[in-house]
Amino acid sequence: MSENVIITMIGISTLLGATGLAALLWGVKTGQFDDQSKFIDAARFDNEEELRDAVMMEEKRKARKKKKEEEKKKYMPAD
Amino acid sequence: MAQVPCTHCNLTFDESVMITEEYPDKTLHFCCKGCQGVYHLLESEGLDTFYDKLGDTKLQPAVQKSDDLEKFDLEGFKNKYIKEHDDGLYEINLIIEGIHCSACVWLNEKVLHKTPGVIEATINYTNNKAKVVWDPDEIQLSKIIETIRSIGYNGYPYDPTLQEERANKTKKEYYSRILVAVFGSMNIMWIAIAHYAGYFSGMEQRFKDILNVAEFILATPVLFYSGWVFFRGAYYGYKNRIVNMDTLVASGAVLAYIYSIYAMITQRGEVYFDSVAMIITFVLVGKYLEVLSKKHAVDTLDSIMGSTPTEVTLIQNNEKTLIAVENVQLGDIIELKPGEKVVIDGIVTHGEGSFDESSLTGESEAVFKHKGDTILSGSICLDSVVRYEATKDVSGSLLHAIVSLLEESITKKPRIEQLADQISGYFSTVILLIALLTFGAWWYFGGDFEHALIIGISVIVIACPCALGLATPMATLVGISIAAKRNILFKEATFLETMAKSNLLALDKTGTITEGKPSVVAEKVYADYDRTLLHALLATSNHPISNGIRKHLETEGETFGLLPLEAIKTIQAKGLEAQYQGKQLVGGNALFMQEHGIAIEEKSEHTLFYFAVDGVLASRFELSDTIREGAKEAIANIQRMGIKVVMLTGDHEASAHRIAKAVGIEEVHAQLLPQEKAAYVKAQQEKGEIVVMAGDGINDAVALAQSNIAIAMGNGADVAISVSDVVLMDESPQSIHDAYRISRRTFLAVKENLGFSLLYNTVAVPLAMAGYVTPLIAALSMSLSSLVVVGNSMRIKMIKFKEARR
Repeated sequence: MSENVIITMIGISTLLGATGLAALLWGVKTGQFDDQSKFIDAARFDNEEELRDAVMMEEKRKARKKKKEEEKKKYMPAD
Repeated sequence: MAQVPCTHCNLTFDESVMITEEYPDKTLHFCCKGCQGVYHLLESEGLDTFYDKLGDTKLQPAVQKSDDLEKFDLEGFKNKYIKEHDDGLYEINLIIEGIHCSACVWLNEKVLHKTPGVIEATINYTNNKAKVVWDPDEIQLSKIIETIRSIGYNGYPYDPTLQEERANKTKKEYYSRILVAVFGSMNIMWIAIAHYAGYFSGMEQRFKDILNVAEFILATPVLFYSGWVFFRGAYYGYKNRIVNMDTLVASGAVLAYIYSIYAMITQRGEVYFDSVAMIITFVLVGKYLEVLSKKHAVDTLDSIMGSTPTEVTLIQNNEKTLIAVENVQLGDIIELKPGEKVVIDGIVTHGEGSFDESSLTGESEAVFKHKGDTILSGSICLDSVVRYEATKDVSGSLLHAIVSLLEESITKKPRIEQLADQISGYFSTVILLIALLTFGAWWYFGGDFEHALIIGISVIVIACPCALGLATPMATLVGISIAAKRNILFKEATFLETMAKSNLLALDKTGTITEGKPSVVAEKVYADYDRTLLHALLATSNHPISNGIRKHLETEGETFGLLPLEAIKTIQAKGLEAQYQGKQLVGGNALFMQEHGIAIEEKSEHTLFYFAVDGVLASRFELSDTIREGAKEAIANIQRMGIKVVMLTGDHEASAHRIAKAVGIEEVHAQLLPQEKAAYVKAQQEKGEIVVMAGDGINDAVALAQSNIAIAMGNGADVAISVSDVVLMDESPQSIHDAYRISRRTFLAVKENLGFSLLYNTVAVPLAMAGYVTPLIAALSMSLSSLVVVGNSMRIKMIKFKEARR
């Protein structure tokens, strides 16, 4: 009986840790840890305004994509 | 009059000289038009919260310049720096100049985000490098650069594919591997504690099995993912027929791993999964630190290359054209504007002017050049328009040579550790052979395969990690911490060992033996004069000589107000003149005085500065670059240790010899160019010398990179610090002596430790071979031997420094 208790405890705690590790590895892969000073410095400027900025940049990107697609639609082969 | 800070850049100036704007609720002060412009721009854009974020940080005053914007839209520029995405977007990597704090990064990102057409803009907080992606249909690069300049910063491009991408990739890779290794070994540790507790108090086999399997699961990714670098290194070593440190780590870890699996399955003996994970983790962290320092060096190199111009103004048939530096041919006539950096070596054909050669010779004084003089790349044209003929193409020019030498030295630096690695390589080969023989003999004579295998592996386990592994790092760790307490920063532990073996010390003159700033050594007054006038005149110039005399005047206890001088003229390499309430003030060198018809007398070996009011000589100052305090004693002490000291300098023979004589150096090499210094170091290395080089400037960087141990002064150029191995924070020559003593004492301890652990191994390994070593004895003797090594290393702390410094 008690073997199962130990197996469960070790298993669950390691699995929990592994989840954290996976999250960290994902962070490294996507370049979130490339800039060590950002952790300390950028956190101070992190407010609603920055969020709006990020949305604005996202919209800019979308607008350009849309424009490109429209250009493609307009383009008619001259045959 | 009150000193007030500029509203934009926070530098304080006298209220009377500032541009003042009065508003009902506030008063604004600006030091210059540039700052004023930036402030109003930010205010109208709603970005003035920048100043709340900035706090008290001081910025450079904003200087508006827009003279070379057109070059950013040239085809050659585009090919070199701009990357085109598949969807037609353009990407460039920029280094942003003028960033002082995180608020600056915030402002730049913000402004770029608001610029129409910019799709992405991210700036790295650590190295101020930016990545900008934009839509070429909507905006041009020159416009983006102009935007950055309009808020008081400057951006110049660099090519990340050269070094940075690779360095970044390695850094990321190591980071992931370390995360896995740390995770694995930390979890194995707490399981191992249960294991050890069970070892002494008794544990049923069924529980042991659970713990064994858990450790096995955790150790496997550590060995094969994190430890992959060692397998790779061992493989390359095998291909080149070298047994290296990687071979030792890889083979030790793999054997312990295989043995542990065997012990786990057969339920006999102890598992060593914890040591497998620990070995990999520790050695990996050490390697990661090396990768980090390399990354830092790459960053500084990029900023040197980025700040060099990519185009020059060529004069062809009396017309000016901008062409890429690569296309310049021998004999082409190039025009230099004030403030421009020279990229191609040549000879002056028209005009004259002074040049800042400090990055080449280390001398802060400007050099005056006229027709027929050679111009070296890397120097900066200070005050006038000069035309010159190219005598070399870009790849033959000095600046290019320096940069490529540095680049090379960052990727492969001569290292003595490689030899140390080889020795431990031999050791590991011998141990592997012994283990193999033991196993073979026990199997052949004993006939029991399992028993033979356990004994064979226990030979490796008892010999491999502990005492020998700890011998060097423990002693050097203690050495490094003592050095750090005395403001000597060793960047890596192994440098202590290398430095201890050195018998040749090469010193740069300016900035290393001397302070690099001229100061007044004698003053002669010919006629009574108002010192405030002299101070005011000197305040108009930022030349090191002006600064030196000004400092001298100020230390005599007087305070000087600011006088509104008129008709101020600065004649580079000659002197200053100005008018004050009808009085004519002239200050400068002998030649300048003669030009103004003022009779002067005598000569001196020092630099002379004369001051005259209304054509009457008032006073004379003798200036000389002062030798650092304690330089003579320090050099004498170093020589007493049996180390040869030589001086390498870019300065002239006479002044070099004078300084050398004053501090007691016999061998002097003067008038050396940066690569000649490096060539000297290399020549000595080929003679078998281990060279320690101390210097502070860009002109020393190549020689520093070439030397076995490079010592940089804490206030030196960034590039000098980044290629160096040791940094002296207090810049005292005495610290060089201390560094030598600490490294020699540490090396002694390393030798003692190695001797002890070898002794331990010669006793323990035969015992293990004979089959007397049970896991309990192995564990006990291992920790005991480690304790001896640690204790001996602690003895380094007893080193005495005679001269207790304040």
